[in-house]
Amino acid sequence: MKITRSLDTSGKCCPMPIVELNKAMGRLAVGEVLEVIATDPGTRTDIPSWCERTGNRLLGSEETGEGFRYLVEKG
Amino acid sequence: MKSMAIVVRDDSYDKLLTPFAFAYLQASEGCDVDMLFVNWAVRALTEEGARAIRIQGDHASEDAWVREQVSKAGLPAEIPDLIRALKETGKVNFYACSLAATIFGVNEDNLMPEASGIVGASWFVNEKAANADHTQYF
Repeated sequence: MKITRSLDTSGKCCPMPIVELNKAMGRLAVGEVLEVIATDPGTRTDIPSWCERTGNRLLGSEETGEGFRYLVEKG
Repeated sequence: MKSMAIVVRDDSYDKLLTPFAFAYLQASEGCDVDMLFVNWAVRALTEEGARAIRIQGDHASEDAWVREQVSKAGLPAEIPDLIRALKETGKVNFYACSLAATIFGVNEDNLMPEASGIVGASWFVNEKAANADHTQYF
């Protein structure tokens, strides 16, 4: 799997990770993958929910030592 | 969700953050958001009023600290800048309630350009809130 772009929202809180995720995904083509780095614990629920609602695919999520990392495929 | 209506009543800085944050979230997903400002909150739709907004009551002394946290969170810390950021999404409309405007000194001359106008509550409730997928009150 190739990561097309990376979005680092470290330090930012709701609503900004989702606002920036929407903007970033708008610039991707179907099938491309966005890596999202976050520290807001709200993203643990917001990003999977956002993916399901918007027709994008959450390929993976993990807690890192400093926060969270998500891989989202444009649907 | 395709549309959301929000009625904002409180004008304390901290109490305005939530409706603005919710509007920002929904607008970023392409949802049309209509916000009606009533009571004291109508002054938030004037440049002078928006700049004068502070945290009130028990937490008033923490105003500067809260603004710093808001800025760190990635949001514009000043209300006029936040309103402009929301307007730039192209999905958020701001309306001043005509009753509140009359009582609290807002008119077409001091209404900020980002606002869509002074409207009747009946129009907003029937045309916007009743037809929205979801309505919130703050």
